[in-house]
Amino acid sequence: MAIIEVSELSKSYAGRTVLDRISFSVEEGEIFGILGPNGTGKTTTVEIIEGLRRADGGTVRVLGMDPIADGRALRELVGVQLQHTALPDNLKVWEALDLYASFYANPRDWRELLAEWGLVEQRDERFAKLSGGQKQRLIIALALVGNPRVAFLDELTTGLDPHARRATWELIKQIRDTGVTVVLVSHFMDEVEELCDRVAVFSNGTIAAIDSPAGLIDGVGAEHKMRFTVATGGEVDPEALTELIRAVPGVSAVRRDGGHVTVAGTGDFATAVTGVLARNQAVVSELRIDKRTLDDAFTALTGRPLGL
Amino acid sequence: MTATAKLTVVETKLLVRDPGSMFSFLIPVFILIVFGSGIEPGDTVLLPMTLAISIGLVGLYLMPTALASYREKGILRRLATTPVRPGSLLIVQLLLQFALTLVSCGVLLAVAGTVLGVQLPASVLGFGVVFLLGTASVFAIGLLIAALAPSGRAANGIGVLLYFPMAFLAGLMQPASQMPAIVVRIGEFIPLGAFRQSLEDIWNGGAPDPLLLAVMAVYAVVVSFAAAKFFRWE
Repeated sequence: MAIIEVSELSKSYAGRTVLDRISFSVEEGEIFGILGPNGTGKTTTVEIIEGLRRADGGTVRVLGMDPIADGRALRELVGVQLQHTALPDNLKVWEALDLYASFYANPRDWRELLAEWGLVEQRDERFAKLSGGQKQRLIIALALVGNPRVAFLDELTTGLDPHARRATWELIKQIRDTGVTVVLVSHFMDEVEELCDRVAVFSNGTIAAIDSPAGLIDGVGAEHKMRFTVATGGEVDPEALTELIRAVPGVSAVRRDGGHVTVAGTGDFATAVTGVLARNQAVVSELRIDKRTLDDAFTALTGRPLGL
Repeated sequence: MTATAKLTVVETKLLVRDPGSMFSFLIPVFILIVFGSGIEPGDTVLLPMTLAISIGLVGLYLMPTALASYREKGILRRLATTPVRPGSLLIVQLLLQFALTLVSCGVLLAVAGTVLGVQLPASVLGFGVVFLLGTASVFAIGLLIAALAPSGRAANGIGVLLYFPMAFLAGLMQPASQMPAIVVRIGEFIPLGAFRQSLEDIWNGGAPDPLLLAVMAVYAVVVSFAAAKFFRWE
């Protein structure tokens, strides 16, 4: 069953179209990624679903309810972590959880959340004294304290160090494992690839594609490379070998510089190329296959790399 | 406990932990005690001055800073995603800041009446009316600052910038009797000045000038409306 259904959603600010009739649905129990560069309407979409903004057109249903008309009932069932959100400096960790728990009819026991999110030792610490990672974990715990069926997490690892990011990823998987549907807004490819069951790729207010990360990567057939060094002076003639590799299906280019060979192609050409090497008893070293990433898929789908 | 009750408890704790609120609370008491040692018995000037300082510090500096920083930190927006409306937080904050001025003014009256032997107002009802109007008019300006300031820091700066000229015109820096008559007259058309002069009238055993009461009422209504109109949740 779809937890969230968005159809033909439109929004513009001061005549500038931010969202152009986008449609997607989020299934129960999945981590759904909303991926795209800043300013492509990701946060606007999520804020409309959360009921913080009104759409200009289209319909949104969350758990079968309208985010504006049924806002009061819906807010009991939805947990939100907003981008750029903070708490009062002098608020203690337990007070924040206790306070937010009191907002909901059926909250979770916040002491459990304290343990789950590794904040037991920070229980009496004030918000301003927490580390970046601890603040982020508290903000996520607050999004879950109402015992929501859907949690929205917006750019939650921005500003965290690599270790804290990895740790946060594990916790997001835990949220899904407890049966909460997660909508994850991100501009980090690695994060989306690691966490999401399905991803909507946003590009200039439209959705370029929706698929699993693996499906997106395979779907675009992005070109990738393999490199290796052939030991010279053996029985194999490098020139003949290059020709054999060039004939492998999927291979689009082969470049040889002395013993160093670079093969470019699409699909699963690398397996076939290693087969050719083995059959010809070529002694190969420093074999490297560049893994295709979501980055490649993203660039192919939107016509530009994410960083730009 | 209901959400509103819990919100009130938490906000009270935060108010007590904030050095700014302790500062607004202690400064008027400090001024009262330092200058109180040198006044004549039956003085009717010092206590109205310190009461006006107390309301001015809370209304123009403390309250707008608190509200603007709540918006700046995204706390109001975050509340809008919960079953509790962000308006509840504003109301709780306003009531708490009002309670702070009540406690602060109560302490001033108690210290003045007992330790310093300063004359207390004859008319409790008159004092109550003037106190409410004065607080409402100063808080209205504070709300407008909170509505317009982009951040807590900016609200703090605007509050301080407004407080000092207003305090000067209102006769809170020096007794009005030592100021040029024209300056005192101008000061009566701003809330703090109208408030201090009305209190002095009551302290002297008379009734406050209706014009001064009208000045405070007009500020309270008009400026609050403007604040409500310009207020942004994010």
